[in-house]
Amino acid sequence: MVQITINNKQIDVPEGTTVLRAAEMAGIQIPKLCEHKELTPYGGCRLCIVEVQGVRVPMASCTLPVNNGMVVNTETEAIKKSRKFILSMLFSERNHFCPFCQVSGGDCELQNAAYHEEMTHWPIQPGWNDFPVDTSHPYFVLDNNRCILCRRCVRACAEMAGNFTLSVAERGAKSMIVADTDVPLGDSTCIKCGSCVQVCPTGALIDRTSAYQGHDEKMTEIKSVCVGCSVGCSINILVRDNRIVRIEGDWEGSVNHGVLCEHGRYDPTTEARKRITTPMMKKNGKLEPVSWEDALNAVKDKLQPLAGNKNGIAALASTRLNAETLTAFKDLFESKIQSGMVTSIEEGVPSSAVMKFSEKQGEFEGKLDMLRSADAVMCVGANIGRSHMVAGFLFKRNLNKGTRFINIDPEESELDELANISLKAKPGSDLALIKGMQAVIHKEGLERSSLTITNADEWIAQAVSASGISAEQIAQAARILAHSVTPVILFGKGVTAQRDEKIVEALYQLAVQIGAIDQERSSLLSIKGEANSLSAALMGLDQPFKLDGQKVTYVAVGDDYVSKYLVEKAAKSAYLVVQASYESKLTENADVVLPVSIWAEQEGHYVNLDGRAQKTAKAISAPENVRDNLDVLNDLAKRMNLALDTDWQTAIRGRKSSVSLN
Amino acid sequence: MNKPKIASDWICGCAGCHMSLLDMDERILKIVELADLRATPITDLKEPDESGVDVGVLEGGINNSANEEVAHKMRARSKILVALGDCAVFGGVPAMRNFCGVEAALRRAYVEAESNEPGSEIPNDPELATMTQTRAIHEVVPVDYNVPGCPPDPDVIFHVLSELAQGRKPEIKDDLLHWH
Ligand code: SF4
Ligand code: SF4
Ligand code: SF4
Ligand code: SF4
Repeated sequence: MVQITINNKQIDVPEGTTVLRAAEMAGIQIPKLCEHKELTPYGGCRLCIVEVQGVRVPMASCTLPVNNGMVVNTETEAIKKSRKFILSMLFSERNHFCPFCQVSGGDCELQNAAYHEEMTHWPIQPGWNDFPVDTSHPYFVLDNNRCILCRRCVRACAEMAGNFTLSVAERGAKSMIVADTDVPLGDSTCIKCGSCVQVCPTGALIDRTSAYQGHDEKMTEIKSVCVGCSVGCSINILVRDNRIVRIEGDWEGSVNHGVLCEHGRYDPTTEARKRITTPMMKKNGKLEPVSWEDALNAVKDKLQPLAGNKNGIAALASTRLNAETLTAFKDLFESKIQSGMVTSIEEGVPSSAVMKFSEKQGEFEGKLDMLRSADAVMCVGANIGRSHMVAGFLFKRNLNKGTRFINIDPEESELDELANISLKAKPGSDLALIKGMQAVIHKEGLERSSLTITNADEWIAQAVSASGISAEQIAQAARILAHSVTPVILFGKGVTAQRDEKIVEALYQLAVQIGAIDQERSSLLSIKGEANSLSAALMGLDQPFKLDGQKVTYVAVGDDYVSKYLVEKAAKSAYLVVQASYESKLTENADVVLPVSIWAEQEGHYVNLDGRAQKTAKAISAPENVRDNLDVLNDLAKRMNLALDTDWQTAIRGRKSSVSLN
Repeated sequence: MNKPKIASDWICGCAGCHMSLLDMDERILKIVELADLRATPITDLKEPDESGVDVGVLEGGINNSANEEVAHKMRARSKILVALGDCAVFGGVPAMRNFCGVEAALRRAYVEAESNEPGSEIPNDPELATMTQTRAIHEVVPVDYNVPGCPPDPDVIFHVLSELAQGRKPEIKDDLLHWH
């Protein structure tokens, strides 16, 4: 610990703490602009200057580490005067017309800083130069006229999203925030995560949907969890008048620490699907609005006679539903009605091979956090550029610092460009390829833990012929993994869709061999599918969906997207009941449609891909005639004189988990 | 009568600041009680007393030679000069013209705008004031108090006028300080 005195207040802080942080620990706020707690200090705006005893010039406190016995003053007349001057310079550089800026009046850190210094005007007037405004991006606008070149956006793009799209072109007064090689943002490599907008201290980055919808103080901020995928990022939902105005990454989020992907941040506010607001039943080939009473009774009349009949009903639930609903769903259809075809819409594609292997191996998967410190990452059949993007951000941000990346995926994607090695193995050759890598590591004596490999050369030859990849490339990838200190192997649907636990086992062996799995840790992880993929798998809702003469098909879609595949499969149903929030081809084909709430209208639990049970909050109210997913199942059960079990915590412990649950 | 004299005028503004002044409702009677309201755009007297006033208030920025004259006259005749509102303090909306320059602005307004008759020309009567770049008042004459806001709240205007009328220095900060 180091002792430091700030404004006559003594405080002990850990060595390496910056003066700015130390002041905050002592309850003293130093005005700042470019500094942001989740980003590397940059010391560019100079607003955080302080007086350090014995030092002639003011020092930027955000980059200044504390020294033992340091005496700092943050509010001397000289410092205040300098701060005003720094702000004057900032205002003189660009064009700030506060009366029509969306952040003016509380949400602009620049304006707030000026108010703090009691600035009633700009001592130096701007030069009235016109700066570019980029409106090419679907979600936000970059108005350089309001930019103070604090580079928070540049750092967020690199350090949070790992995307390196933004940078500063030119120097000095000509400096400008640009995307890539100064192309319009809409044509750039931007992956639309919105991190830059979230960190911008001014009105320079304008969020299209929330701008001019009211100041943040007018919003109710609700902490919740994104249900866009199984990563489970923590979010803040900003709500006004029962409307989601904006979604922000929660800086306190244990998975994401503030960052979100396009889906998590923008899908909910740009939803274009049409909401279903009344129960409907098919009459003369057309869906007609009916009362809940009629709809539920009709469903009950269909279900009740089929109870006890293994082949009577097929029931499918979305893995975007919360664990409470999934538990009730399983209890109703599997335990009470005793149907033999109860599964999830994902049909266990992202999980069943993993589950099968964990039956044998127990908990073998690791945690997402290890991606942050990985020095090599191998992705197998996991396109983290398209889904589960935040999992990708966790290591993409280190690719410029030496983290190596191997991508194995027959599908072309932008990941190929990022990868040190991109292997386009022939579909179905994963097992041979992984064994080939094992053989190389074994043969070259690079093992941390040795595997029994009888004929390494033969395995390598098989890998080459099956995958169509040269021996040299396989060896290169294997060597990268073997030489790294903190390697992580991620795998996804490309592997699990083959429903072959032998591939999972081979990946496990490889991980053990390279030291990615040992007594202390496991650095093997599957990215699963939708938000509650793991819950559904743990409840056993993961068998393939097959129609085999069932009289009724019940699909609890919730607010999930409906694939063409599902529509086609369900079209063969004798009688189709769909519980859904949005209109789709599936609801069009249904005999009964039950309108239900979306994720933000109900609370419930989700177990993310690395076993964290997290709770979503109810942020808004559902339309009048729309009911909670769980309520609908409970009501239906009540009409059949049944009571449903919703103890999800017990339900997810019915099976050996592949990850530790917490 | 030895109540302090207050005069005001508007130049390159939209009259909104004076509307906001009127918006202080019955508190305007308090101002009248404390001060002698002289020439303003909303009273009969149009020019500040030649003998001078204690407080001169200017709404709007300066965008032509006529505005300059008004500003100089108000400055010369006022002990204390107040710049009222964003246009007076920063240049405000009219300052956006500075991006394209005087020529282009005149051409757009008098020739190119869709509402003009074909063949319209930029007025060039020598009697007319000459357009200049739009400036904040403090760029042309010294200002004692800048009161930002677009418009400033009636509360802010009341605070400034009543403090000045009572011989105190108005403090424009916290809730009274806003730029929009
Ligand atoms: S960014 Fe801030 S200072 Fe600039 S115009 Fe907007 S509110 Fe005013
Ligand atoms: S756009 Fe915003 S975050 Fe980026 S440099 Fe400008 S002010 Fe800073
Ligand atoms: S949205 Fe994300 S990827 Fe795009 S520029 Fe901003 S930070 Fe970078
Ligand atoms: S990675 Fe998944 S959980 Fe995170 S923001 Fe994106 S969709 Fe949501």
